[in-house]
Amino acid sequence: MTSVLSPALEMIGISKSFPGVRALEDVSFECRPGEVHAICGENGAGKSTLMKILGGIYRPDGGEIRIKGQPASFAHPVEARRAGIGIIHQELSLLPDRSVAENIVLGAEPTRRGVLDRTAMRAGAREILARLQSSIEVDARAGDLSLAEQQMVEIAKALASKPSILVMDEPTAALDDSEASRLLDLVRRLRRDSVAVVYVSHRMPEIAAISDRVTVLKDGRKVLTDRTEAMPTGRLVRCMVGRDLEEFFPPRGAADGGVLLQVNEGGNATISDINLTVRRGEVVGVAGLEGAGKSALARAIFGDRPFTRGTMQLNGQPFAPRSSRDGIRAGVGFLPDDRKREGLALGQSLRDNAALTLRAFARALALPSAGAMGNLTLDQRLRALDVRAARFDDPIRLLSGGNQQKVIIARWLARDPQLLIFAEPTRGIDVAAKAAIYAIIRDLANRGRGILMISSDLPEVVGVSDRVVVMHEGRIVGECPSGASEEDVMALAVGHGGSVAEPASACGS
Amino acid sequence: MTIALPDTALHRRAGSLTRHINSGVVIFLVLFAAVALKQPSYIEPAGFMNFLRRAAPLGVLAAGQVFVLVSGGFDLSVGSLITLSVLGASMITGGDPSLTGAAIAALYGIGVAVGLINGIAVAFLKVPSIIATLGTLLSVNGVAMMWSGGSPRGYLPDNFRAFGRFVFRDVPLVGQLPLSVIVLAIVAVLAWWGLHGTVFGRRVFAVGDNPRAAELAGIRVDLTRISAFVISALSAVTAGIMLGGFGGVSTDVGQGLELQAIAACVIGGAQLMGGRGSITGVVFGALSLFALFTLLNLLGLPQALRDTAQGLILISAVASGAYRQRTGG
Ligand SMILES: Nc1ncnc2c1ncn2[C@@H]1O[C@H](COP(=O)(O)OP(=O)(O)OP(=O)(O)O)[C@@H](O)[C@H]1O
Ligand SMILES: [Mg+2]
Repeated sequence: MTSVLSPALEMIGISKSFPGVRALEDVSFECRPGEVHAICGENGAGKSTLMKILGGIYRPDGGEIRIKGQPASFAHPVEARRAGIGIIHQELSLLPDRSVAENIVLGAEPTRRGVLDRTAMRAGAREILARLQSSIEVDARAGDLSLAEQQMVEIAKALASKPSILVMDEPTAALDDSEASRLLDLVRRLRRDSVAVVYVSHRMPEIAAISDRVTVLKDGRKVLTDRTEAMPTGRLVRCMVGRDLEEFFPPRGAADGGVLLQVNEGGNATISDINLTVRRGEVVGVAGLEGAGKSALARAIFGDRPFTRGTMQLNGQPFAPRSSRDGIRAGVGFLPDDRKREGLALGQSLRDNAALTLRAFARALALPSAGAMGNLTLDQRLRALDVRAARFDDPIRLLSGGNQQKVIIARWLARDPQLLIFAEPTRGIDVAAKAAIYAIIRDLANRGRGILMISSDLPEVVGVSDRVVVMHEGRIVGECPSGASEEDVMALAVGHGGSVAEPASACGS
Repeated sequence: MTIALPDTALHRRAGSLTRHINSGVVIFLVLFAAVALKQPSYIEPAGFMNFLRRAAPLGVLAAGQVFVLVSGGFDLSVGSLITLSVLGASMITGGDPSLTGAAIAALYGIGVAVGLINGIAVAFLKVPSIIATLGTLLSVNGVAMMWSGGSPRGYLPDNFRAFGRFVFRDVPLVGQLPLSVIVLAIVAVLAWWGLHGTVFGRRVFAVGDNPRAAELAGIRVDLTRISAFVISALSAVTAGIMLGGFGGVSTDVGQGLELQAIAACVIGGAQLMGGRGSITGVVFGALSLFALFTLLNLLGLPQALRDTAQGLILISAVASGAYRQRTGG
């Protein structure tokens, strides 16, 4: 029965509906031991729903799951884990007040004579983190970790139960390039150990690099399963979106507008010696490893965690925001990287989320639907960005990540700031939506806005920006002109290549 | 990407029906039917109006409390503020009807002050609202005791008590119409407008749902929270003025009302961690709770048992709220 070729996991004819939405219809796929099986599809194609069914979070309306040929059904996540399934969910779900070690062993705590064995727990957690080459402290409070570190802990948690089937739903979305490549190494090692890996990702290069077979979902149905070699990125994208994507990165503009933002010797507790210029019509990319201070730079300019040293000018005027509200009032907008924690009011409707900034600055006693906050205008904006949802008055938590991000973009487009700071604008977003967001970014620049784009996704930062500013350990260590290679940027980001003594050194010098 | 089911229209209708029928309304209808079975006079206009009259202060209180709940906090100080309002009114007027206007103005002034203190402690000093308003509860109680010398003194002039007891007679359709029911209606309409009809109301929802996202979108989270506490305090003073007309001056008029108000909100579908609630819901939640007390009374249960029942109801209401939240229904 358990010959090498028989699948470790089969999902057969799975269907699942939510009120008003058919998320999955008759989807089948199988994963063999030692195989990495990628699941691809646009935002909302049903990938996470399929994975949640496998993890015992949702019950399918129809279909069958087989583990090593045996029919299985899971009423609870614990039953899925007992069947040897480890899942890294797209939504991070750590208990913020527990330690890293406690989170990792959660639900399978080691005990001695019925009492929690803390030493064993911490040792076990440390060992798993070491396998991930992560230096996260096992006693740290989970809530204090960065998004990338939390993601690492989630991965460790899934590995803790030594699963024979490992499901990874966009595990690299929050990771920087070097962390992501370490994760891919780990997946290769797991494959050698005959683990069956189901891998969901929007990063095409990853899929090509790691997977053996690909299954493509579209609108809740399976399009096909094929060997990865037979699926060059072009074909894969065509299967996913149902058409050719003419251009992924939009052509750069030629506009050389005046200086919009000037930062002189800016610094605070996390970053220092920041000198930066953003012109109108320009997309300035900010690259760097996790923890290099990219996000701190964005927050300082926006006014959320202000600079304590140095000066800024916006439009030639002195600009010293003390709060995000100050920043917005002066004409700056910010899309945070941690969408769930900082961007979305999850229980409120799409429309309410899209109108949030308008309402922050409207008269308190005005009608909530006055002027541009009216349903008609809001719906128009949402449709213009191709936001897909059953109803625009549904709570936004029901949406897929890409659609959520578009709603936040709609929020800022309504305010139309002079300078828009995008932090990780396409984290967890499908190829088609990525292309759409790049087009929006470029369009804003062409209309004379200045764009600062923080990104850990190297192809993106190199492909979209007119210039890339590279950060390392809280400082700007260099700058690359458009057309620089990913290697150039990476060399600066890891602290080689640029001379730290002379900030903003040109690329490769 | 979503695929509309063939029967989407049907689904939608069913969905929006269940979404728009509030739990508070359903619970109220069930409980009131039980009350009416036990004591048919309650469905006569006079009986029903009298029921509404006595439930009105709780309705007013819940309509204010829900602002704080939706903004993500609790206001436990309202009960003691009611006590302070009643005792304060008797101290200020000393029974002199010509001082009623001044007394009411002073009470609202006190209300604003208490609301500001709660709000500032929560918004600027970052004290969790449960602790902050528990502190205010104790302080306000202390002030009430000091002011009145520890025992209820004086009495309230009749024109002050009118808000609780005056009844318009010979009104078409309903026969009689208590002033307090009119006050409840006005407060409900004002609160509905504030929470559902203004930009401010939407900010309260956003702040309760995710204060960090609200802040990054430019909302003044602190001012929004403070306003919610002031609104709650003003509703408490209003409820206090109404209750002053019900019974005499006593030192325990407001006792326990903060929990009743919160329970009423939860029965009406408000969510304890913020971001969800409606005025229609909480007003019916208050009527439900009052119908339940009436029922327990009609069944002849002693006070101690009623208190126990109230505690259990609070817990089960909150638990079912948490369940609804988890299942997304
Ligand atoms: N709990 C839910 N209630 C209602 N609709 C839901 C729910 N969960 C998912 N959906 C809907 O089901 C569809 C599939 O969602 P799913 O999260 O599986 O997409 P996905 O392929 O994982 O997308 P992404 O790439 O953005 O993560 C979407 O239309 C989504 O809005
Ligand atoms: Mg997903």
